[in-house]
Amino acid sequence: MTEARIHDRGYLAYDGPRHGPGHAMVVLGYHTVQRVLGLKRSNWQKVMPAITLLIAFVPAIVFIGLAALLPDSSDLDLGDPTGYYWLIVWMVFLFTSFVTPEAICTDRRSGLLGLYLASPLSRDTYLAAKLAAIVTVLGIMTIGPTLLMLIAFTLEGSGPDGVIDWLTELGRVLASGLAMAAFWGALSLAVSSFTTRRALASVAIFVSLLVSAAVGDGLAEGAEVGDSFALLNMITLPLETVYRIYGETNTDGPPIGEVGTLLVLFTHIGLIVAFGAFARWRYQRIEVTG
Amino acid sequence: MSDVVISARGVQKSYGSNHVLQGLDCDIGRGITGLLGPNGAGKSTFMGLVLGLRPRQGGTLNVLGVDPDQSGPELRARLGYAPEHHDLPADVQAADLVRHIAQLHGLPRRAATERASDALWQVGLGEERFRPIGTMSTGQRQRVKMAQALAHDPDLLLLDEPTDGLDPVQRDDMLALIRRVGSEFGIDILLSSHLLEEVERVCDSVVILANGVVGHSGTLQDLGTATAGMRVELDSDSQPLAAALTARGAEAAVDGHILTVTGVDSAADLIRDLVADLDLGLRRLEPRRTTLEDVFIEASQ
Repeated sequence: MTEARIHDRGYLAYDGPRHGPGHAMVVLGYHTVQRVLGLKRSNWQKVMPAITLLIAFVPAIVFIGLAALLPDSSDLDLGDPTGYYWLIVWMVFLFTSFVTPEAICTDRRSGLLGLYLASPLSRDTYLAAKLAAIVTVLGIMTIGPTLLMLIAFTLEGSGPDGVIDWLTELGRVLASGLAMAAFWGALSLAVSSFTTRRALASVAIFVSLLVSAAVGDGLAEGAEVGDSFALLNMITLPLETVYRIYGETNTDGPPIGEVGTLLVLFTHIGLIVAFGAFARWRYQRIEVTG
Repeated sequence: MSDVVISARGVQKSYGSNHVLQGLDCDIGRGITGLLGPNGAGKSTFMGLVLGLRPRQGGTLNVLGVDPDQSGPELRARLGYAPEHHDLPADVQAADLVRHIAQLHGLPRRAATERASDALWQVGLGEERFRPIGTMSTGQRQRVKMAQALAHDPDLLLLDEPTDGLDPVQRDDMLALIRRVGSEFGIDILLSSHLLEEVERVCDSVVILANGVVGHSGTLQDLGTATAGMRVELDSDSQPLAAALTARGAEAAVDGHILTVTGVDSAADLIRDLVADLDLGLRRLEPRRTTLEDVFIEASQ
């Protein structure tokens, strides 16, 4: 019997389907989520995202367990989402500062940006896909635990009464989580667009959050120049937005609780747009050929 | 497909007060075309305009039948681009990177995976395709760049200094691969380089940029048949003949016993007569072929 083998089938032209820029955005977004979470990377790269995500979910899991074990758990108000965000806010900051810069810094440092922009992606669709990926990953922290609690408490019979109330609560959980993820995600994008060095971007994000808190609270409380200056605090502003989504105000914290809801929401959205516009301005000036 | 792949008319591009391209005109046809020019001549800027990464400030540019400024994403789906730099994500496997870029160019995941593997085999990295790029040599990284540019089966391949950083053996291999892509694969190539020798080895045509305009464009075949003066070899000192030629209005460059004579009509007759008058021994008299180097120097000046 004679044996035949094909050793080189030569170059084959491709005549299958080709998708457009929308597909490229989805591919880039998916790839970015994987990179940020450390998937398909060394174990060391998985540590920080895994720990921060895990810690963000721990209180929710404890609350769900308590609700299941304690007969009068409804008196403990375990399902208060606004209180929950205060519990995990430092994990969200650590994640924003030390994990999300991977989304864009590495592309410029490794030259991958040139390959991306030589594809059907444009600078704008590239940034949009990156922002969507960062918001998605942050959303795991800002939406995941409260959504888990809502579902668990509902199954345990201690959730909102009736379909309308349940859907209203679901809407608030999603809106709150998205509002925080979009704000800190856009901040991360803007600061990371400054530098190709991930570590530098991480420090800059963390410091900018602390400085904004010091300046905002200092002006509003220390100098007493006006309650509105508390909106400069980029830590409490998104959390205050969450309070307003739940029809409440933060009565325990700085004087941001005294600011009108419209101004809080306008500042929140305005800063997201400003961060996005800044990142866009930076990327319009980056040369990728040569 | 049209015979003209890229057509530029009066293309202008400035960065502030720096006018990089100042009315660039050229037609780039099928096959492999070398884009030559000294550093700062505008090669990379022109590539950026072809890719639609930057809007031009004047003129018209047509790439594969479309205007890059108007249809950038659609055009880039049909282009492959290998940048000059060697930086690629170090912790990513070659196969993953090539598949990812193919997906970005519109291929479904399954097709992208298959074609990424094929492309890496074609560039000689079949066995190495699952290695992280950070562990690869410069030559292998250049091949990865070539593979990612090829995997989605582009109509036009843009290669920016593809042999930069390679040793002589790797360089020969890369040039052979480029020649193979242009001839066997049937993909048109625009090859940016500042190395004349490699352009002469692999290209069918050449466009030379100088000071923001096209200094010369044409096929290398035409260049090979073009002549520029006469070449004379004597069996003795050529200075007397050079002086006599200069006195009759010719330009004579002396290199030992060899003279290169330009700037005069009927140079062969004049040289023959002067050699006879001066009683010199003539070894060789032949038309001098124009080299790419001659054209490059002339265009650059």
